[in-house]
Amino acid sequence: MKLFNADGLGEKVLRRFAGGTSRRGMLARIGVALVAAPVFPLLPVSRAEAAKPDRSPESKTVFARNAQTTDDTKCDYWRYCAIDGSLCTCSGGGIHSCPPGAEPSPVSWVGTCINPDDGKAYLIAYRDCCGKSFANKCNCDGSDRETQLYTQQLNNDIIWCFGTKSMEYHCSTAVMVGAA
Amino acid sequence: MKSAAQNFRLSAALRFAAATALGAVALVSASAHAGTVSTEPEESTVNSIPAPKPSWFFVQRGFVLPGTAIYDSATGKYVAQIETATLGDLAIDPNGKYYYSAETHWTRRIHGTRQDYISVYDSTTLKFEGDIDIPGRILVGGREHNFIVSDDGKTGYIYNFSPVSSVNIVDFAKRKFVKSFELPGCADLILNPGVGLAALCSDGSLAAIDLTGGKVDITRTDPFFSATTDPIFDNVQYDKAKGQVVMMSYTGLVYTAKLGAKPTVGAPFSLQEAAGLRKAEAKPLDLNWYPGGGQPTALHRASGHLFVLMHAGEYWTHKDGASEIWDVDLAARKVVKRIAVEGHPTVLNVTQEASPKLIVVAEGEGQGAGSGFAGTAQVIDPATGEIKHSIKDAGSGLVQLAN
Repeated sequence: MKLFNADGLGEKVLRRFAGGTSRRGMLARIGVALVAAPVFPLLPVSRAEAAKPDRSPESKTVFARNAQTTDDTKCDYWRYCAIDGSLCTCSGGGIHSCPPGAEPSPVSWVGTCINPDDGKAYLIAYRDCCGKSFANKCNCDGSDRETQLYTQQLNNDIIWCFGTKSMEYHCSTAVMVGAA
Repeated sequence: MKSAAQNFRLSAALRFAAATALGAVALVSASAHAGTVSTEPEESTVNSIPAPKPSWFFVQRGFVLPGTAIYDSATGKYVAQIETATLGDLAIDPNGKYYYSAETHWTRRIHGTRQDYISVYDSTTLKFEGDIDIPGRILVGGREHNFIVSDDGKTGYIYNFSPVSSVNIVDFAKRKFVKSFELPGCADLILNPGVGLAALCSDGSLAAIDLTGGKVDITRTDPFFSATTDPIFDNVQYDKAKGQVVMMSYTGLVYTAKLGAKPTVGAPFSLQEAAGLRKAEAKPLDLNWYPGGGQPTALHRASGHLFVLMHAGEYWTHKDGASEIWDVDLAARKVVKRIAVEGHPTVLNVTQEASPKLIVVAEGEGQGAGSGFAGTAQVIDPATGEIKHSIKDAGSGLVQLAN
């Protein structure tokens, strides 16, 4: 299984930016990214880890208490605690795979979900699959720790097809990042 | 012996003759009853509509359906459709002359070159008058504060997230893009008279954005809410006359901020305590009443009454539809009425008439939550709770008003 590599992802995103910008423009963008640290979508990983989520039984939401681990085509599958959109598992893709012809977004919003089998919290990246029309199959709207537009990286209403050839939204995956 | 084809032709001819004869009889009969039927050839015409009325409401059709439907809350009747796009944002000229639609398309449907622009429509003919290119806009929909117009109607502000957070400014008089500026860590644009704009920020503060000089000057209040533990809903309520904004948090804390160069935020009060109940907690396993939905609050500015979509449940259910609307007297800090509603609406607004009407919309049935199909809109009298009109297939997105 391919592990999440924050450095590699960062390099990929920066190379995309670099390919379409001058050096001065690139520096300006990095500057903006540093200034805009609270909204830069790679940083939620470290921010979420720094937050040290409460793993006690009392922290379990109504979603976590009713989640299951066997059917990833259902909205109550444990990783979907903060997903919003059409499940790629219902439209020719998988839990971390896009359907044929779609392109995964390199950036995403994130959620912290509890696996009921071990009771532990995991960081999940909800990467959109892009470049095809809305799949509109198995639509789900999880809202655990989901916030508003001023904390974009934790909002699941935004179309997160950044860094892809097309920003047309097709469906959403729920990629394991690691233990929260 | 006749072939089957001949039999078919014969019977078909007989049926045609009979139908023609019956039709002629029916026509004569109808003519006899209706008097004279004009046989003058008619011309195809195009209707027009009045400038937006205080009783009108504007419903975005939803996530998968383009167009914004205009309804009259006085009659429940459909007026017309404004040509807006999916994931588009509608802004209404405060002078009532134009509708502005912020939208995004690609030159080859879903690929090719991305194009972001504002389409301008005359408010009475709904004819397309032109468009204004902008460098980008956020693709999200369902928010009142991603595309706003200044109180004089001359300037438009469009929020962009690329994923760098910024604002585009458009001059509507010249129909030109003016400039953009970066807005790190903040979103939800609010008019800030005499200053420029205000916005909510991820550190739990309110930003004042001074646009009066050549350089954009952004300052922030001290943090007053937690953007991750008890966030404030995006769709805040702006009151021009009082120069203030009314905000609602997930747990039901009601904040009021006086706008200006240095906004001041008053102490919040608990919606549940205002209703004589226990204050809600920002953690699960606490069964209480919570605000919820995409557009959960609406302010009747003249009376200072805030209406809120409420549901019973636990924390982190802030997208759930409502089973009640709470009527809050902001000055008294009291919930003065609780109105039961059906269909679990997630969208709410209130007309600004002397006798206001509540508008609620619930998403239509589709392939699960968020499928974005058009659902039922209801017009409710807040004084009695009576449903005045129920409109099927109205929409599922934002409900906006002209004033």
